[in-house]
Amino acid sequence: MSVAAAHSGGIADHIHPEPQGFVRRYVFSIDHKIIGIQYLITGFVFMMLAGLLAETIRTQLLNASGGFVSPDTYNEVYSVHGSAMVWLVIIPIATGGFGNLVFPLMIGARDVAFPWLNMLSFWIFPVSGLMLFSSFLMGAPAAGWTEYPPVSLQGAPGTTMWCAAIFLVGVSSTLTGINFLVTILKMRAPGMTFTRMPLFVWGQFATAPLLMIATTALAAALAALFMERVFGVPFYDPTKGGSPVLWQHMFWFYSHPAVYIMILPLFGIISEVLPTFSRKPIFGYKLIAFSSMAIALLGFMVWAHHMFTSGLAPFLQVLFMVMTFTIAVPTGVKIFSWIATLWGGKIHYSTAMLFALGFLALFTFGGITGVFLAAVPTDLDLHGTYFVVGHFHYVLVGGSLMGVFAGMYYWFAKMSGRLLNETLGKVHFWLFFVGFNMTFLPMHWLGFMGMPRWVATYDPQFQFWNRFESVGSYIMTLGILCFFINVIYSIRAGKKAGPNPWNARTLEWQIPSPPNYYNFKHIPTVYGLPYDFSQPLPYTGLEDELTDSPPAQLTGAHH
Amino acid sequence: MVEQKAQATSLGRGFWIATAVMAVAAVAGAIYWVYAPIESWVPSIILTAHQVDVFFRFLAAVGTAIYVFVVGYIVYFTIVFGAKKTDPPDAIGVQIHDNHKLEFWWTFFPTLLVVIIAIVSYLIWAEIILKPASGVVVEAIGHQFNFTFRYPQINGEVTDEIHLPVNVPVTLNLTSSDVIHSFWVPAMRLKNDTIPGMVTAIKFTPYRTGRYPIICAQFCGTLHSTMNKQVLVVEDEASFNAWYHGMQLKNAHVSNALPSTSGTIALTGGDAAAGQALFSQKCSACHALGPFDQKIVGPGLRGVLHDPKHPTLVDGDPATPENAAKILQQGFTGPMGTMPNATTNGLSDKDIANVVAYLNSLK
Repeated sequence: MSVAAAHSGGIADHIHPEPQGFVRRYVFSIDHKIIGIQYLITGFVFMMLAGLLAETIRTQLLNASGGFVSPDTYNEVYSVHGSAMVWLVIIPIATGGFGNLVFPLMIGARDVAFPWLNMLSFWIFPVSGLMLFSSFLMGAPAAGWTEYPPVSLQGAPGTTMWCAAIFLVGVSSTLTGINFLVTILKMRAPGMTFTRMPLFVWGQFATAPLLMIATTALAAALAALFMERVFGVPFYDPTKGGSPVLWQHMFWFYSHPAVYIMILPLFGIISEVLPTFSRKPIFGYKLIAFSSMAIALLGFMVWAHHMFTSGLAPFLQVLFMVMTFTIAVPTGVKIFSWIATLWGGKIHYSTAMLFALGFLALFTFGGITGVFLAAVPTDLDLHGTYFVVGHFHYVLVGGSLMGVFAGMYYWFAKMSGRLLNETLGKVHFWLFFVGFNMTFLPMHWLGFMGMPRWVATYDPQFQFWNRFESVGSYIMTLGILCFFINVIYSIRAGKKAGPNPWNARTLEWQIPSPPNYYNFKHIPTVYGLPYDFSQPLPYTGLEDELTDSPPAQLTGAHH
Repeated sequence: MVEQKAQATSLGRGFWIATAVMAVAAVAGAIYWVYAPIESWVPSIILTAHQVDVFFRFLAAVGTAIYVFVVGYIVYFTIVFGAKKTDPPDAIGVQIHDNHKLEFWWTFFPTLLVVIIAIVSYLIWAEIILKPASGVVVEAIGHQFNFTFRYPQINGEVTDEIHLPVNVPVTLNLTSSDVIHSFWVPAMRLKNDTIPGMVTAIKFTPYRTGRYPIICAQFCGTLHSTMNKQVLVVEDEASFNAWYHGMQLKNAHVSNALPSTSGTIALTGGDAAAGQALFSQKCSACHALGPFDQKIVGPGLRGVLHDPKHPTLVDGDPATPENAAKILQQGFTGPMGTMPNATTNGLSDKDIANVVAYLNSLK
């Protein structure tokens, strides 16, 4: 096995034969690149569905009196929208998608440590997605993506389906976390020390323990909710001795780290795109890498800041508030380092770069509004209002989704061999950027002025800005349509990319696009950080990659 | 490399002009937040709401200033350092990797800012949270889909409007009869969840008369959106007293008299079936129906009045129906914690008689 050889000192310069047949190659594939693409395709399909739900929400809110769908349907729509966007779109795309696709190439590995486990992780994901969306057939969950009991105990049968679906997708996340962690620890090419790893690998390395540890808390909470709903075991119902606040602790013990699961890999993408298109080394490599680890660690100690109004003991309010503030420091350091990376560069305005710059601007805004919610005095006013909705969409759409698009425009060339169309890409960016701000900026003052979350109808004084937001959301959707059209068009007729269209320096760009099944003909040796453009590439062993010479000796099939 | 380093350390006139422009914009933005007419957007009616507004202005001013610089530098650098058509395709930027001095300072200043924000938040937090309970005590109970309110000397429950006297401290005890709701008055800049099985309190002193909406800010079921029709009325003492007496008269006939914590409770005619319903609604969050040792918060209550191993109640009095009623009415604090009194547990005299009948029926 290549793994055994990899950590017995010598590097496995042998290659397993490529599986034959459509099903083995593209359906039940164990190739991390194919699995990454499977994650991306599935994630984007779910994004379309959850996006339709988002537009249902915005269409309902065109009028203060609602009227597009019933209050019950509305509650189901935003609950599934939130659940799907978190668990079926951002997390799988950021970890399973880009993680699988890129980081094994970046560390010079032939695959992840456990390819069969990887296949299992992927195949759980579409199944749980279908389960979640099928809950509409039996009355979908309607208590928001947080599903606080006791109201979720009253929910329609689909709420039980929701528990099972999210539990399963959590299993998939946990397995991916283990797989990535072992791969990064054990399968780096010779010379690829921790302080020579590209920052995207650091992003995945900081995320993997969160996937492994935090998700198990969610699994326990979901199992308890499932048992209570199905068998009446009283975990959360106070009339039977349960505690509704218990759910909140368990849920947020996962879901706050989940925010970092949804952002750390995207930090990694930004840290690759900015230096490549600035033709400059990333500024402050070590500080960016270590601040990711600091954020991952601190992320475990702040969950109760979601519960300042939930009868938390007073001293805990102060503790969690102060812990939350501290996260501003490593995050601020990253933002400053990224801005400094731009300084003195030769900046190429590619679409990927525009999305990375948009990410910087919008994520920072979401970070600043986050301080208002971390501080107990202002949170006691703003909690549960549209201010919160505005805040987390700046982080998760302005941040994470912008990062996803940056990654797509950057690595599409590597996965398909063709470039996404840049003109259509720029139309996509500007529609998305303008539409996004129109949609989510007014939410901050609406929340402050008294508009609560989770409402199908609202005070007529807020109607103007709600209509403004809905128009913005339609513009944003047009932008995303441009993206899907671009992908479909470019995959057939896009410009041929060649191995390294962006003149980038990380390992994945030094091999053909798309890469061969075995990734590298010979495992390369690494001599330094990839980011210095004035130096020759810090790799040896890549001489044959772009020639017709055959790869290193194939071993016999012995799976 | 040496040449590039030299180039890298000189920031140039353009940088300082851009920085000056950003500084002006940042100061203007910060000044806007200092004078922003926040109270014309949402009035502020309790003393701590004003402090929250001051804090909000502070955060918004600092946040705006920082944001102006972040976006300013992104835009400025992106424009000036753009690759030009005349540049060779392999042109590269200045190859600097880091600058420890700069990195130290931009770690140090955010840390300092975080410490300042933490101290200011703590001080305002202490004003809001660490107040002694005093003044008018009102109980708010969340239901799907309204709140009801109970006053010490008004029978039954008050709905629609909650009246409070101006400039008198208020303690609002919050609980819920079904799911979690959140009692929010935007004009108070304050909300707190009403959680079934738990009593939480908020304390405040309204200083401005008027009518202000009460909104549920936690999803609580199908009609959560409509749980915003109730009104908090703050009025002068004379109007408040007039309303209070009016309510007392209006509700005088309501048999479900509000619990009081004094007087003798007539236990005859207690209905064990009604008591059982009350028990599962009000008591079972803390008390199991198992033996004494089966604790949730308080002891298990099966056979509480017939257990030879425990001939006395937690307060040391003999286990008789009358003494059980006294604990339900007056509450008790001991080594196991606090058993709430009737004002908090919401049991009327009649309710207590029913619960005692039920407890007595458990052998």
